[in-house]
Amino acid sequence: MSSAISTAPQSGAPLIYHLRDVVKTREAKDAAFTLRIPSLQIAMGEKIALIGESGSGKSTLLDMLAFILQPSEIGAFSFRPERDEQPLNIQAYWKKGKINELGDLRKRYIGYVMQNGGLLPYLTVRDNMNLCRSVLGLRPDGMVEHLADELGITAHLNKLPDALSTGERQRVAIGRAVAHRPSIVIADEPTASLDPYAAEKVMSMFIGLAEEFDITVILASHAWDHIKQLGLRRLTHRTIRNHNKMFTETVVTG
Amino acid sequence: MARSWSKIFHLAIRDYVHEWLMSICFVLALAAVLGPMMVLFGLKFGIVGAMVDQLIENPLNREVRPVGSGYYDHAWLETVLERPDVAFLVPRTRSIAATIELSSEHSPRIVPVELIPSDHGDPLLSPDDPLPEGVTRLVLSQSVAEKLKVAPGDTLDGSLTRHFRGQQERVHLPLSIAAIAPAAAFSRDGAFVSVALLEALEDFRDGRAVPSLGWDGDAADANRTYPGFRLYARSIYDVAGLRDAFSKLDVDVHTHTTEIELVQRLNRNLTSIYWAIALVGLVGFSLSLGANLWANIDRKRKELSVLRLVGFRTADIVWFPMVQSLFTAVLGWALAVAIYLVTALVINDMLAAQLETGQQVCRLLPWHYAIALLLTCTSAVLAAGLAGLRSARVEPSEGLRDL
Repeated sequence: MSSAISTAPQSGAPLIYHLRDVVKTREAKDAAFTLRIPSLQIAMGEKIALIGESGSGKSTLLDMLAFILQPSEIGAFSFRPERDEQPLNIQAYWKKGKINELGDLRKRYIGYVMQNGGLLPYLTVRDNMNLCRSVLGLRPDGMVEHLADELGITAHLNKLPDALSTGERQRVAIGRAVAHRPSIVIADEPTASLDPYAAEKVMSMFIGLAEEFDITVILASHAWDHIKQLGLRRLTHRTIRNHNKMFTETVVTG
Repeated sequence: MARSWSKIFHLAIRDYVHEWLMSICFVLALAAVLGPMMVLFGLKFGIVGAMVDQLIENPLNREVRPVGSGYYDHAWLETVLERPDVAFLVPRTRSIAATIELSSEHSPRIVPVELIPSDHGDPLLSPDDPLPEGVTRLVLSQSVAEKLKVAPGDTLDGSLTRHFRGQQERVHLPLSIAAIAPAAAFSRDGAFVSVALLEALEDFRDGRAVPSLGWDGDAADANRTYPGFRLYARSIYDVAGLRDAFSKLDVDVHTHTTEIELVQRLNRNLTSIYWAIALVGLVGFSLSLGANLWANIDRKRKELSVLRLVGFRTADIVWFPMVQSLFTAVLGWALAVAIYLVTALVINDMLAAQLETGQQVCRLLPWHYAIALLLTCTSAVLAAGLAGLRSARVEPSEGLRDL
């Protein structure tokens, strides 16, 4: 069992996510896992950290927030990507099987940084960074070059991901997630495969960019040390495992 | 929508080129199955086609020849000519009377020749050459033309004799050469002439008068009958029917039906064998193509999940492997065509000595290539579409973690 510090969402700012009684259950032959979210509120512009060991359900929560994993049960799940828009009922989208419409929301409002970058090996760094922008039909406006400069990867813009180090690939992934100016960036252990020095550097670049573009951030990490000085609000979670590890339940609130 | 389709098309090409080694393997795997199938079909089509062409092109195979002599009058012949399966019919006079001796001023030889009745549409004569019309024009066989050293436009002297009223009579008539018949038309010494000329010669030999040529004799018989006829069916496929029709009329005929049936049976047997092999090949081809594409899409699931993550829709995700499969199909087909063309060239070259000019043992028509392309693309799109759909239905979160 583990526990963590929690702080309330910033008062005054509208909520980008509001979840109540959301559950995801996964069952395998010799193990079962349940993620329970009694209540979760994330305000626009917040920087949220979800800290926990492997297998505690961090990725499951992030995937549900990115609409790429359907919850097993939903009490309420609303998403308000812009201040001047009404909250969207994500529960209804899932219920009606509107996978493509959820994809459209993700395309427009969400950036996602994967643990291993998730770069397309056949695209250059520039094209990878421009991928979300080009899917949205955004014209080149120097954003990719600006981000490459901020992330220190300008020299690699015309290279393929294979030619880059792990840290450089993660920086490209961050650039891709931010380049289309989404409302929120979800990052799943973006620095897990980096050494502590590189991890700290990449993480501060990431948060710096998010602040520059006023993007809400939710990131999962198993190491609080790298990010505690960045001023993120840490979500509370409690993980219970039975004695033979046949059953795991994580409860997240915040 | 159009933007995301063009975007996915662009991404599919980039990936295909980036993984060029794998792409080449897929193309080779496809061509390795399709190429030999095309060669096999080319051989089947070429061999049987050449035999059927030879049968069709050689009018001798369409000939229906009466055995022995009969008494065929104009009315009977008209009835036969009206049949839709009869392409050409002229009466024959008695063969003993259908001869003439020819000489020319270019050669000292006198050549006795057989005379063959002819008319418009004679399948043995070239349609471009002038016809033997009236009683003064003929078409010579090549052997006679060579012996008499004559060419079209030259004039020959034709002569024949008869015993009439106890005396030997010989008459001469000038005959102009309208054309020289193709070598295959008649291999012996002969000449194609009008029925009118043959009737005149027969009348002369029978002691009857031929006023048009100024030959004296008895009055002509008004009810003329003929001992035989020259008849050609419209196609080789009509020959058997005509043979049966004549059989019902108690007219024994000789035809080439045995040879025709032999080739038709051979065609049927070869077609059955081909389809048996082709079916096995097609199953193997489909399995090979399907397995390749399925495996490829399974390999690409993680990258497809990334595309899903950045907002591409289900249809776009299915379109991605379909585009790549179409590339494989078209390139594999092109390579198979190249394999086929080289193999066909070698086979045809090897057997050129045994073939007539222009004949090919291994050949395909343009629509055969088109059908091969259509089949390949359809199989590819189906396999890729199904695999792509399966891939698109998987929750995007599942494919992401290992990338």
